[in-house]
Amino acid sequence: MANFDQVSLLLLVLVPLAGAMLAMFLPKERPRDAWQFAIFVAVVSFVLSVIVFARYDYMVGGVQFQSEYAWIGHPLNISLDLGVNGIGAPLVLLNGIVLLGAVLISQTITRRSRDFFVLLLALGSGVFGVFIVRDLFFLFFFYELAVLPMYLLIGVWGSSTDFGTFLRTKEYGAMKLMLVLVAGSVLIWIGILALYVASSQAGSPTFNIDTLAQLRTAEAFSRTLELWVFPLFAVGFGILAGLWPFHTWSPDGHVAAPTGVSMLHAGVLMKLGAFGIIQVGMILTPTGAEVWMPVLIGLGTVNVIYGAISALSQNDLKYVIGYSSVSHMGYVLMGIATLHPVGLAGAVLQMFSHGIMTALMFAMVGAIYERAHIRDSFILNGLVKRMGVTTFFFAIAGLASLGLPGLSGFIAEFMVFTGAFRTYLPLAVLGVVGAAITAVYILRLLARSFFGEADPQWEHLTDASPVEKGVGGVFVLILIAVGIWPAPLLNVINTGVESTLSVF
Amino acid sequence: MALAFLIPVLSFVACPLIILFQRWIPGRGAPLAILAIAGGFVLWVLMTLGFLGASEAHPACSVNDITGALTCHFSTTWFQAGLPGVSATVDQAIHLDWGVLIDPLTVVLLGLITFVALGVQLYSLEYMKGDPRFGWYYAWQALFVAAMLTLALADNFLLLYIAWELVGLCSYLLIGFWFENPGPREAAKKAFVVTRIGDVGLLVGILLLWLNVGSFSMTDAFAAVDSGALGDGTTTAVAILLLLGAMGKSAQFPFHVWLPDAMEGPTPVSALIHAATMVIAGVYLVARAFPIFAASPEALMVIASVGIVTALGAATIALVSTDLKRILAYSTVSHLGLMMLSLGALGWTAAVFHLMAHGFAKALLFLGAGSVMHGVGAHGDVDIRRVGGLRKAMPLTATVFCIGALSLGGIPILSGFWSKDEILLAVSHRLPAIFIVLAFLTAFLSALYMARAMFIVFFGPEGEDSRHAHESPILMTSVLSVLAVLAIGFGWIAFNWPGSFGGFGTFVFYDHAEGFHFNIVLGVLSIVLAVVAFVLAWLVYVRRVRSYESLRGRLAPVLRVVERRYYIDETYQWFIDRIILTVSAALAVFDRAVVNDVGINGPGDVVRRAGVALRLHVTGHVYSYALVVALGVIALAIFWWLRSV
Repeated sequence: MANFDQVSLLLLVLVPLAGAMLAMFLPKERPRDAWQFAIFVAVVSFVLSVIVFARYDYMVGGVQFQSEYAWIGHPLNISLDLGVNGIGAPLVLLNGIVLLGAVLISQTITRRSRDFFVLLLALGSGVFGVFIVRDLFFLFFFYELAVLPMYLLIGVWGSSTDFGTFLRTKEYGAMKLMLVLVAGSVLIWIGILALYVASSQAGSPTFNIDTLAQLRTAEAFSRTLELWVFPLFAVGFGILAGLWPFHTWSPDGHVAAPTGVSMLHAGVLMKLGAFGIIQVGMILTPTGAEVWMPVLIGLGTVNVIYGAISALSQNDLKYVIGYSSVSHMGYVLMGIATLHPVGLAGAVLQMFSHGIMTALMFAMVGAIYERAHIRDSFILNGLVKRMGVTTFFFAIAGLASLGLPGLSGFIAEFMVFTGAFRTYLPLAVLGVVGAAITAVYILRLLARSFFGEADPQWEHLTDASPVEKGVGGVFVLILIAVGIWPAPLLNVINTGVESTLSVF
Repeated sequence: MALAFLIPVLSFVACPLIILFQRWIPGRGAPLAILAIAGGFVLWVLMTLGFLGASEAHPACSVNDITGALTCHFSTTWFQAGLPGVSATVDQAIHLDWGVLIDPLTVVLLGLITFVALGVQLYSLEYMKGDPRFGWYYAWQALFVAAMLTLALADNFLLLYIAWELVGLCSYLLIGFWFENPGPREAAKKAFVVTRIGDVGLLVGILLLWLNVGSFSMTDAFAAVDSGALGDGTTTAVAILLLLGAMGKSAQFPFHVWLPDAMEGPTPVSALIHAATMVIAGVYLVARAFPIFAASPEALMVIASVGIVTALGAATIALVSTDLKRILAYSTVSHLGLMMLSLGALGWTAAVFHLMAHGFAKALLFLGAGSVMHGVGAHGDVDIRRVGGLRKAMPLTATVFCIGALSLGGIPILSGFWSKDEILLAVSHRLPAIFIVLAFLTAFLSALYMARAMFIVFFGPEGEDSRHAHESPILMTSVLSVLAVLAIGFGWIAFNWPGSFGGFGTFVFYDHAEGFHFNIVLGVLSIVLAVVAFVLAWLVYVRRVRSYESLRGRLAPVLRVVERRYYIDETYQWFIDRIILTVSAALAVFDRAVVNDVGINGPGDVVRRAGVALRLHVTGHVYSYALVVALGVIALAIFWWLRSV
């Protein structure tokens, strides 16, 4: 097993990437083959992610399974350094789960399905890469690898919706998502280069996160540098995490995206942003982080309240969940910005919990849209009669999202509140209020579309397919399991939090 | 006693089993739920015997110096978060336990919950017979009871909060059980959202407590309050915040609006909500966290004021309601107000005593109302103007309902009389005179509306809906009979019976044991008021000495306000529709038109337009490029010349 540990992270990146490349050679006209092949790849990736998470030794902590593959030597010093810490490990597991779920749910993609799965697997590989890489150059590479396929996935396989007063085409959704995220990438890249330049001035040019962190401890970075670089990371990565006011790409992207893509988008992609703030911004520019965190927690609180109130008046199911994601990512940003161990651990747990919960919601909305060809919550009515299982799963995800104890969302949000109470009490109270608003829009949605009198026009709907039931059932079990017994995840997260906060 | 945690666990396990396997279990899973709660009841008996036999010698038990009660505590680690390894930084981590805390309050409350829940579930076998979602009904019942039992056993505030929210969820599911109809659907949502608003206060209060105490443990929190480590301002703040949660759950003004609507659920559910779960959670919370409240005179005054306003306001509405279940619902609100009033007057034992006595009586009344509905074939609501004279068709239901009504109305020797009297006594001792006057008024109204309901439904002239009435099945009436016995006799455990224990007050007490007190003046006055109320109602509704239509005519303007429930529901509705939804819609437009179209699309448009404009300059003609180059050279030359000068 020790030998396997050496390569497990490399495999984690290579398996989906190689899968994507091999899939290109599949026959074009047989969608089912492509789907089955993608499942095979996703299952292998999932098993690998479980192994990495399970074998991460939280008693030891720190960065584990380290391996290094030199790429460009002197003077650039770029190498593929892999290693995972206590914050990356649970997110690796999350990506393994959500990727598999998204691939399974994408059974219904029949048009150019081979190309679809090529892009989906490439995206998955990029996400794994960001969570396990220790080199900023490759972090940026994987980050872009995760983001770029979104453009085609939405633009080609998405759907356009006419909302009466305005139109949201898939091309618009894809283009906006791409441009906004690339704008964020530019900020990140400037930040990375600034640190690289600072490191060369200190005599040892490097992109390695751990080496850079050591340089910082040795005071190689000036305070001014940290002060202007941290906002670049916070905003650049924050955009991907749905940071207000740069969040509109996210709900519009969801409305246009096909189900499987929405699951990955809200489930793991937005987490990359939050992960980047922690792993790059906080570790490398802690002085900047300390100065700027009051701003970030303020924006995070705006995210929470603004997202929740916006969700309240949305009619489209995907818009409701999209704005709900904006609101819930606000808790992640709040937790990070507390710089408090409990708050930060809560943020990471919230990333995991929200990833599962929101992927489940999108899967169920996708199942409804597939059958009813509509997502307007005022027209959908009494779905429970024909789609009982779908409704049950959606309701559980909804309850997790409104912070019902016993489900994973509660523990995470509660921890964020705890941390925020220590540090920014009034904002923490607003955060609790946000959770109450969530209850309003979730229950309104449930009452309106799912419960209520059965509408004859939906008599023909069929309940979730076996695949959808399987994915939904497993996701529900995860939500309950984490809600009742969060210790396995928290033990790992705690070590990550400890090493992250040790730089302060 | 160490197995007390199994009491809720049994029902918790029953819930998913029923959901998953209801198709294959005989009786669609109902026997499983009943078995679980019956097992819980048996375990409660064993636990009580163990507790009565326990003393400080027991390793897990000790006498708490603040509450003065023998307290047994069992717990195990649940999870830790933050930096649990770094012991120097206590505030850098949280540590949570699964733990049960057993003291006399827990013991009596668990008894009430398991007993009433068992009765309700047996009763429901008949009442819910033939419902298409029979299995789901029992699944939610099991979860409901399990959550409530956890709430009563929790040893730390977070576990209490978790159970608290689950109780809220289950009431949502059960109130909205017949969700095909808009009534239950809306009522369920209302119940969840209104209580959730109170819960914001509760959670903030719990976190504030943690912030100052560094632990979620109740014992630690009480010790911190007692030692003065918490500070007066913080103590009051925490107390008020916890009270907000309690007000939401216990339907205290202004959060009372959800409870009367909650009768849209199946009637046995109402019985459970009103007697043994949900609404008593709020009173329980205040009683449980009493060391915090007792340390803050301001908080006590707030509790008392909220209590009396609720009690009196709800009693007046109950008096003019025409729906049997709605009358009972407002009656619950009113009596919960009395319990809060009692707590505010430091009448801790009286409040808990009334909680029990009211619980048995109210379970009886609601199940009795359910029996009436079953008998006349009504679904939804029973308009008391359309039923009447049911005494002949349903003699047993009539008898037990009257017992419940008399008990709650405060007729002597029945349970309700003793507990209500204790409350009046506490109020007269501790609070300004206005409180006792209003409390007496409430007690009088309480007797009057119970008498009104009872006389119209069972004694008045036969109504149009009561022609085909028939008595309910034996299972339902036996549950009613057992509850009736308790509604009569439960109150007698207040006394110091020779040869047994020294009375309720020597077992369930706060700070110091209390014997049973009876103040002759208060007692006689309350007896007179209750009897007058019943006689008055009898004269008006049975003997018809004075037509109530003429009474109504004179009081019309006042009645209109009361019948519209003081316009409180309307105000809320207006606030939600006009304020919240408007703001939300405006924000959604703002998000699209300003943040997106201007903020995000704007720069994009600028770039695109710039591209369009600049495109015109790319003419492809060499001479125009040459012109620009030449102009540039000249400009540079001038610039250089200027600098050199």
